[in-house]
Amino acid sequence: MLTHQSIHDVIQDFEQGKIDRRALMRRAAALGVSGTALAAMLGVGAVPMRTVAAAAAQDDTAGLLTTNNEQQGTWIRNFNPLLPENASCRWPTLHGIYESLGVWNAATAELVPRLASEWAFSADNLTLTFTLRDGVTWSDGTPFTANDVAFTWKLFKENDALPGNGARVVIDRIDAIEATNDTTVAFTFNEVYTIGLYDVAGQVIVPEHIWKDVADPVTEVNENPVGTGPFTEVARFENQIWELHANPNYWDEGKPAIKGLRLPAFPSNDAINLATINGELDWTANFIPDIESTFVAKDPENFHYWFPPLGSDVMLYLNTTMAPFDNVDVRKAISMALNREQMCDIAMFGYTHPADATGLSDAYASVKDETAAKAEWVTFNVDKANEMLDAAGLTKDGDVRKTADGKAMEYELNVVSGWSDWVQSCDIMARNLADVGIKVTVKPYDQTTWQTRVQNGDFTMSIGWSSGGPTVVNYYRGVMSSITWNEIGTSSSENWHRFKSEEADKLLTEFASTSDEAEQKQVAVKLQQLFADQAPAVPLFPGPQWGEFVTTRFEGFPSEDNPYAVLSTYDNTRGIVLTTVTPKGA
Amino acid sequence: MNYILRRIGFYLVAAWASLTLNFFLPRLMPGDPGDAIMARMQGRLTPETVDAMRQAYGLSDDPVIVQYLRYLGNLAQGQLGVSISAFPSPVTDIIFQGLVWTVLLGTTATVISFAIGSVLGMTGAWKRGSKVDSVMPPLVIFVGSFPYFWLATVALFYLSFQWGVFPLRHAYNDTLSPAFSLEFLLSVLYHLFLPALTIIVVSIGGWLLGMRNTMISTLAEDYVTMAEAKGLPQRRVMFQYAARNALLPNMTAFGMSLGFILGGALFTEVVFAYPGLGYQLITAVRALDYPLMQGLFLMITFAVLIANLIVDLLYVRMDPRVRAS
Amino acid sequence: MSSNQTLVEADIPVAPVPEERVTSVGKPRRASNFVTLILQNRKAAVGAVILLLFAIMAIFAPVLAPYDPTDYVGRARQAPSSEFWFGTTGSGQDVLSQTIYGARISLGTGLLVGLLTTVLGALVGMSAGYFRGRVDDILSLITNVVLIIPSIPLLIVLAAFLPAGFWTIVAVLTLTGWSWGARVLRSQTLTLREKDFVASAVVSGERSMRIVFREILPNMTSIVVAGMFGAINYAIGAQAGLEFLGLGNPSNISWGTNLYWAQNNAGLLTGAWWTILPSGVCIALVAFSFALINYAIDEVTNPRLRSQRQTVEILKQYDRRMRSSRATPVIRGAVEA
Repeated sequence: MLTHQSIHDVIQDFEQGKIDRRALMRRAAALGVSGTALAAMLGVGAVPMRTVAAAAAQDDTAGLLTTNNEQQGTWIRNFNPLLPENASCRWPTLHGIYESLGVWNAATAELVPRLASEWAFSADNLTLTFTLRDGVTWSDGTPFTANDVAFTWKLFKENDALPGNGARVVIDRIDAIEATNDTTVAFTFNEVYTIGLYDVAGQVIVPEHIWKDVADPVTEVNENPVGTGPFTEVARFENQIWELHANPNYWDEGKPAIKGLRLPAFPSNDAINLATINGELDWTANFIPDIESTFVAKDPENFHYWFPPLGSDVMLYLNTTMAPFDNVDVRKAISMALNREQMCDIAMFGYTHPADATGLSDAYASVKDETAAKAEWVTFNVDKANEMLDAAGLTKDGDVRKTADGKAMEYELNVVSGWSDWVQSCDIMARNLADVGIKVTVKPYDQTTWQTRVQNGDFTMSIGWSSGGPTVVNYYRGVMSSITWNEIGTSSSENWHRFKSEEADKLLTEFASTSDEAEQKQVAVKLQQLFADQAPAVPLFPGPQWGEFVTTRFEGFPSEDNPYAVLSTYDNTRGIVLTTVTPKGA
Repeated sequence: MNYILRRIGFYLVAAWASLTLNFFLPRLMPGDPGDAIMARMQGRLTPETVDAMRQAYGLSDDPVIVQYLRYLGNLAQGQLGVSISAFPSPVTDIIFQGLVWTVLLGTTATVISFAIGSVLGMTGAWKRGSKVDSVMPPLVIFVGSFPYFWLATVALFYLSFQWGVFPLRHAYNDTLSPAFSLEFLLSVLYHLFLPALTIIVVSIGGWLLGMRNTMISTLAEDYVTMAEAKGLPQRRVMFQYAARNALLPNMTAFGMSLGFILGGALFTEVVFAYPGLGYQLITAVRALDYPLMQGLFLMITFAVLIANLIVDLLYVRMDPRVRAS
Repeated sequence: MSSNQTLVEADIPVAPVPEERVTSVGKPRRASNFVTLILQNRKAAVGAVILLLFAIMAIFAPVLAPYDPTDYVGRARQAPSSEFWFGTTGSGQDVLSQTIYGARISLGTGLLVGLLTTVLGALVGMSAGYFRGRVDDILSLITNVVLIIPSIPLLIVLAAFLPAGFWTIVAVLTLTGWSWGARVLRSQTLTLREKDFVASAVVSGERSMRIVFREILPNMTSIVVAGMFGAINYAIGAQAGLEFLGLGNPSNISWGTNLYWAQNNAGLLTGAWWTILPSGVCIALVAFSFALINYAIDEVTNPRLRSQRQTVEILKQYDRRMRSSRATPVIRGAVEA
């Protein structure tokens, strides 16, 4: 929007009474000046300004933060926060419209209070009590109470098909949820499971006074949401764009500092990349190849990115029920044949670094055991790999090795088709393994097919993600415990490679039965040593968390210099980011 | 009459075959929508929850044949069901959202391409051996030889992104809301231009060559020579005698391609981020969203069948030989 | 894939096939004559030369390619230089080698699919046309149903569900691509069956199979060949389209996957136009040359087009004195020649 009027003309018009406040805001915004800045200049009170801004926004896109998270061709109106985000409800229904008691911040490694102000376990670690924040109201003005929390959990007890975003995975361990008064709610576990705190705290809460009248929460689309979050007003909803404006009753006084969010629909990664590089998206989280020259170079002042390797490790899974992958030395030898530097450089554009032998990503830096991390089997050493394979009785016959029963070592390596970074990593691994006499063919499958195969154990080698979360349990439970272990042919959402260890089970239980952080750390170290010793799966590199932002219109995004949250629209800390950013110069 | 009945019989069988294929094809493949949900949630759901969701989403364990009969029954009542990938939105809602834009884009491009191609082919045939006639056919063949997605990607990158001549995405400007205002209509036209142009560029050759060939054949007909011998004005010979008759076989092809519009603009919509049905189909396939896939296929097939039926009926009217047989 | 190319191809069968193509042919023609006849046409000759070059490129790829196409041979995204004539890809592979090797799978798929669809189409179409009656009813129904099912969406559905790879693409393209040929060949067979030479063969007691393949088929050479070239073009374009959407096997080297990777590595955004250009132009050139040959076949075998062309050739000798914009060519003052 171009206007030749200067800011002074606008202010003059306002002072002379030619235009009202609403028009002032609109025209100021058109000139690229934020409402708050102008308000400060004119000495106009800050409180009415927000209402003015909200009104002006009806016909004005300036001041709205343009962002994106989902790949969708057209928008479908659904704000049911108990259904999967992206698939069913629109981003950011979670942590935007609705909030949870607390949010795990992987950047600072702490559980940040949101609707709850504090929490504590009872002495026997069986009861977890949350104290709710004072003065929180729903966006329709109704006060938020402990009954809303209890009601939300009751919905999960009554509806097995509600996936939720935390409740579902712990609800079977919880006997009772009780609102002891308006501001406290107590969760009683049926066994000691202290890490359940993160799942309980993470579940978003819906208002009882609205949802008690919802016939079926599983099929509810909740077109006009009432939430406690910083953005609750759906100002506009069309199939190619929608807008979510600030909650006028948000509990965090003076926040959010921005008027609202603008969410255009993008059907493909290419479309998102073009918009990002064009500077149209103020905040986004997508993979951009060679970002320094494609994106940052366009406007080094304002175009920024931060790709911390905080996502869980990408792994090479070897089916441990099959010989010779049941042999730990073979797994370690294969790991040593892999050139992780090359994968990180070529497939990942240098955005991450090789994994260490604990399998833990940088998100667990504070508990990492240096000795375990430095185990030899994750270093690239073709000679040693050959030696170990020879020693394991896998003798070379021509170019390809043979197993003890005379079968040539020829395997398929499964990958998700279209996930180009993974496909390229697999291509590199296939080349690496050919050098030690293992013939590997990369086999891309559609995501669903690939997923069904790995979950049923119907694969020999596959690249794949691993589980992450607030504690090391989230990771190790998925790679070496009997809790996640299933027979081949039975679907298992983790532990695809089918590895279990009694020792690991013992340590994992031990970890969850104490709420003392020092004790937990000791157990975490033992778990890392066990992993480094057993090599249940082969870690490749930690997954980077994509995040880009443009400071032409807004500032205060998390970055390497100011890592107060994760710079990813996918991360749960999005609510923290959106309430921290401010219009530029405000 | 007998001819029409036979054709209608054929259309019923064709519709049934296509619906059946659409029902069984996804079910023959490994996995089901539940697995797809699990895949998209990247293992954050337990198999038990997914089973509960399967039930809530109406995925039954009944024998396939029972499901099939139920599916046909629902279709007969006009019920397309509820999408699974965008649960719980009705399939009809989702399809309706994109339908308008796909039809607009496809019709515009096809009509313009047909009109320009036919006029060029006609002129070429009339001025046989001229510069235009010797240059045009190889030229349109050459341009039409480029892979469509390649041409579209390159056009979008240079024309829209680098030089900013055309918008980067969407069917209208994001600052506007749909309304019957001049501003909105202009915005729609502006956003339509490049996607339609790329389709026209690659498809015009077919129309040009088709028209040129039939026109040349027609020009050699005795009645054209006769008309010329009678000393009728050239314009009249060209349009009333030659072009009119040469257009007939191409009209039928044109009718058919109008039917193919729904399924045809898929690449265009993906490259230009145009909010039509194309992307919906890819999403539905990837998510194994049976109801949405079935609904989309139903729309696409029926569009083709209806276009075919209209062509058939027109043919009966226009060509007495068909009526006689 | 050119979606509209497919559209146009799919539409044509409704238009009646000009009968002149067959009426002009009296007795079976020798295949070698046919080839010579076609190659005398300049357009066809140009097309054939281009194709030949690509065929050489595909066959001798290991000799011609300077590097292993999958190997990471240099710094990523280097502009064309004396070391890398076509530059390097977004991950440091040699674009020239990838383009040369890409011809193998792209042309291979095209030829194989062209052959398979033609054989399948000819079998179904000719059986329907020759045996008529019940056989025709059933085969025509199947043909028409397949013809009417929108091929692009079906391609995507099939390609997404079958394991990605060369054979999947071949199978998918064959299954969706044979019906148009079948429909054309059926109507040709129906017409030819009424001709005297077929009738005499029937009377002399020849077996049906022999009549179909020895008497009828050779008379449809031009249509079969043109149909096959059309199918090859369709296959090369469709394969590239599927691969571009990520539905192929990106670990194979073909023109489609080259473009897929170029796009994935933001070839245009990073200014690396050399990763996008070669494979796209190769596909275009191959498609162009097949289309040129088809155009020439049409000119040579369609008697109306042929006579028109001959007239134009003759008229050219008269130094532009003809009035070209007329239905019937008229030459004024042409006595001196």
